[in-house]
Amino acid sequence: MKRRIDRRLFLRAATGAAVALPLLPSLRAQGQSSAPIRRFVTFYTPNGQIHSAWWPTASTSQTDFTLNDIHQPLAGHLSRLTLLKNVDLQTAGGGPGGPHQRGIGTLFTGQYLQDGDFVDGCGSTAGWADGVSVDQVIAAQIGQSTPYPSLELGVRATDNDVQGRIAYSGPGAPLPPLVQPLDVYNRVFKDLVVPDQSGNMPADPMIAQRKSVLDAVSSQISELETRVSSDDKQKLDAHLTLVRDVERRLAQSAVSCSKPPVPATMDPTSVTDMPNIATLEIDLLSIAFACDLVRVASFAVSTGFNRIQYPWLNSMGEGHPLSHEDPSDPDAHSQLVARAQWHAGLIARLYDNLASVNEGDSTVADNTLLMWSTEVSEGNVHSHTNMPIVLMGGGWYFQTGRYIDCVENGTNPSHSNLLVTLMNAMGVEQTTFGRPEFCTGPLKALA
Amino acid sequence: MTDSVARWIGLAALGAIACSNGPHTAPPNAAPTGGSGGGAGMGAAAMSSGGATSSAALSCTTTAPGVAPLRLLTHVQYDNTVADLLGDTTQPSQQFPAENVVLGFSNNVAANQVNPTLIAAYQSAAEALAATAVSSRLSTLAPCPDGSASSDCGHAFVTNFGTKAFRRALTANEATIFDNLFDATLPQGYSQAIELTLRAMLQSPQFLYRVDALHAPTPETGAVALGPNELASRLSYFLTNSTPDDTLLAAAANNQLVTSSDVETQARRLLGTARARAMAQDFMSQWLGLSTLDGAARQASDESFGPSELVPDWKSTLASFIDDAVWNDGTLGGLLTSPKLFLTPKLATLYGQAMPSDPTTPVSLPSERSGLLTQPAIMALLAHPDQSGPVQRGVFVLQQVLCVQVAPPPPNVVAVPPAVDPNATTRERFAEHIADPSCASCHVSLDGIGFGFENYDQLGRYRATENGLPVDASGEVVGSGDPSLEGPFNGALDLASKLANNETVRSCVATQWYRYAMGRVEDTTDQCSLNDVRSRFSATNGNFTELLVAITLSDAFRYRPAMDNQ
Repeated sequence: MKRRIDRRLFLRAATGAAVALPLLPSLRAQGQSSAPIRRFVTFYTPNGQIHSAWWPTASTSQTDFTLNDIHQPLAGHLSRLTLLKNVDLQTAGGGPGGPHQRGIGTLFTGQYLQDGDFVDGCGSTAGWADGVSVDQVIAAQIGQSTPYPSLELGVRATDNDVQGRIAYSGPGAPLPPLVQPLDVYNRVFKDLVVPDQSGNMPADPMIAQRKSVLDAVSSQISELETRVSSDDKQKLDAHLTLVRDVERRLAQSAVSCSKPPVPATMDPTSVTDMPNIATLEIDLLSIAFACDLVRVASFAVSTGFNRIQYPWLNSMGEGHPLSHEDPSDPDAHSQLVARAQWHAGLIARLYDNLASVNEGDSTVADNTLLMWSTEVSEGNVHSHTNMPIVLMGGGWYFQTGRYIDCVENGTNPSHSNLLVTLMNAMGVEQTTFGRPEFCTGPLKALA
Repeated sequence: MTDSVARWIGLAALGAIACSNGPHTAPPNAAPTGGSGGGAGMGAAAMSSGGATSSAALSCTTTAPGVAPLRLLTHVQYDNTVADLLGDTTQPSQQFPAENVVLGFSNNVAANQVNPTLIAAYQSAAEALAATAVSSRLSTLAPCPDGSASSDCGHAFVTNFGTKAFRRALTANEATIFDNLFDATLPQGYSQAIELTLRAMLQSPQFLYRVDALHAPTPETGAVALGPNELASRLSYFLTNSTPDDTLLAAAANNQLVTSSDVETQARRLLGTARARAMAQDFMSQWLGLSTLDGAARQASDESFGPSELVPDWKSTLASFIDDAVWNDGTLGGLLTSPKLFLTPKLATLYGQAMPSDPTTPVSLPSERSGLLTQPAIMALLAHPDQSGPVQRGVFVLQQVLCVQVAPPPPNVVAVPPAVDPNATTRERFAEHIADPSCASCHVSLDGIGFGFENYDQLGRYRATENGLPVDASGEVVGSGDPSLEGPFNGALDLASKLANNETVRSCVATQWYRYAMGRVEDTTDQCSLNDVRSRFSATNGNFTELLVAITLSDAFRYRPAMDNQ
């Protein structure tokens, strides 16, 4: 398919200098009538929110409200924003684990945690979430026609246990995030075959080579499978499926899109590199979306038990302990609001980027749905009621630009209802998700 | 449920406070769980009498095999393996997604399965490794010179190199798959055919996984001794985190890896290698949780160093200390009491010492330092950016050194370190924990130990005074479960001497290293093996070499259950 290249996306490098980045295609060539391409993102930040800076300060109707401090960075995308009030993380009220563990485990899965050896919360232990996450269900539906079904990205999400995972391909099967831009580049862009200077697509000798190598690898897997236990055979089946996915991708490695520059190596544990890592990952994700290399992503900023300082915001508290401060404490309040605003700014940057890429009569931003939330409602009390949740985009499925009280008959609905709505919005026809006893169908407030 | 994290500090008192946010959080492990194996040193009662003496409750008369699932090579094992097979020291695993961590250990088998990112990374790594190997080392890798066009050369490569890569001889079918790949590629050139074959080998599960159990000609029952190839891999991947060397492969091939004496001979040989020293560092790094030091900010009041500037220095001085304690002194007691401090130029300045002319020569500071727990890296690890961390230090000693699990604070408390005050000591500011009855139930135990380290600030500096006030480093062990440890002590040096030859500490360290060796948290099937290991460690006065040898001689290391689907 020949795509018209009509737009530049700019990548603002760490120095603040504007660096012209790749030419991007118009994803829907003129006159083409195929269904619009939709994208989906789960976005996690840790330790709850300061509610007094989260909920709109005044509202006369769903569409007439005044954004509070934390959402100011998103003001430029007000028409895409949906603020949901009175949705509970009911599924975090059961199963093993402590409140941070249960919250992050269920946030995008609607499941309890499994038993396991991750230690937390009141002397209990827990394992991974007991089911697939919503992004992976959506990826299974819409991610198969792109080279990558999904991307998992993280910024200092370096706790490598249940605290540091938001995406699951199945029960007990977490997907680790890429935590530095160079890894994202190598995963997504390095092997792309792109048009040469005269616009012709070169033949890729690697494709045939890789295919023959992967054929041999698949044969070796099958050979070994005949000689191992049934448990081991299951592992090898899973391995084989992933190798087949790599084979499938070979046919999709040629795209009409330029590669971004190779990012510098950064330290995923460095507080100095953290803002650069975050913005570069947002920019690389933007380009991957714009080039239609992937349509689903998860993005995790840090983890529940982090002890991270944000010196570029002059916020020198240690993340998780800081969130335990009384939210009325002026210093803690200002530090935590500043961090939340910075997180909101990452989302704004994503939508700024995507809004600059035309796609038929709309932009990529118009076709991207994102859910931002956290694993506890208020950090100092570890509540799971009235969760702070922001949706961005999704205007093709529900009316955006609203602040919506979701209470139903005096009761807060379960967030798993929201996950059903998100799946439906992305074309997954499903009426329940996660633990069925907590899910009654799509969220009525968005119907 | 395992009985690994069996004892919990303060739960009886905490239950009502900490766990009030839902009925589900009532602690399931509140009562010490001795485990169906009779405790095996993990229950409070058994621990208090010492791991080595708790065997009376166990019946260990039959062989107790250890589970043997497919195990992915860990990142460090992958890097070492390709270095040993191909001479490639580029450490490709730096591009792999992070490993999942269970109770501190990133080599946990169950928690580390393949995922799309890892499969893609394996492909990239294999391509880079094969390209480099063929362009720079073809003559040592394959039997014929470049330009030769013989199918036989390729098949010989498959047989010879394949045996190293798979750590056993290839089956006929496995060889045929590679032979066919080689033959099909040969028209593009010999080196190209070798390269593609190598790429396929490095992505095959027989290379990426350690395979301990293959179908036998006859059905199996009971405990099954690992075959020589499998045992060779277990030994080398535990003790050296790498593929079996030629000596080990030859021993396996020549029926010289069968008896416990055979195993011990090879284990002791491997423990003399540089790779074994690196393994000990890897274990210690995971046990001690050193990765959380990466990127940690520790500030000096005069800002003489950048916030994370000293992290590499702390890590290198600790590595030198560990190497010296484990391999020169050789005992747990030495690790816990050695007064040595290895210096870097920056640390010499910071700690007011003259930099030795030979940087590998430590200084001895018997009035300031006593063992691992007083090493700068550990004291800086267990600290806040601007002050020491008495609570973290208490938790660390209880969890990592005594294997007592500590419950986190209740959800509605302010778990924030008190603000720095130039007119008070850290201890005075933290003393609020003890004053508040709802906090005291736990903090009497945490702070009781943690305050004993008040002679060390957040930069690992020794201090006799703080803000001009004398440091009070008196402490008290409460809730250790070991009567011989309970009670007051005076400072970290005194505490170290109490811990040095303590049976609870030995039992805990043996357990930690066993978890690392097995790649899993122990369960009831491990209790007899674990007990043998603890006994040997204790009987040799905490000798590390004997501990590691004992693990290789345990039933769980040498035997597996019969396969389920013959």
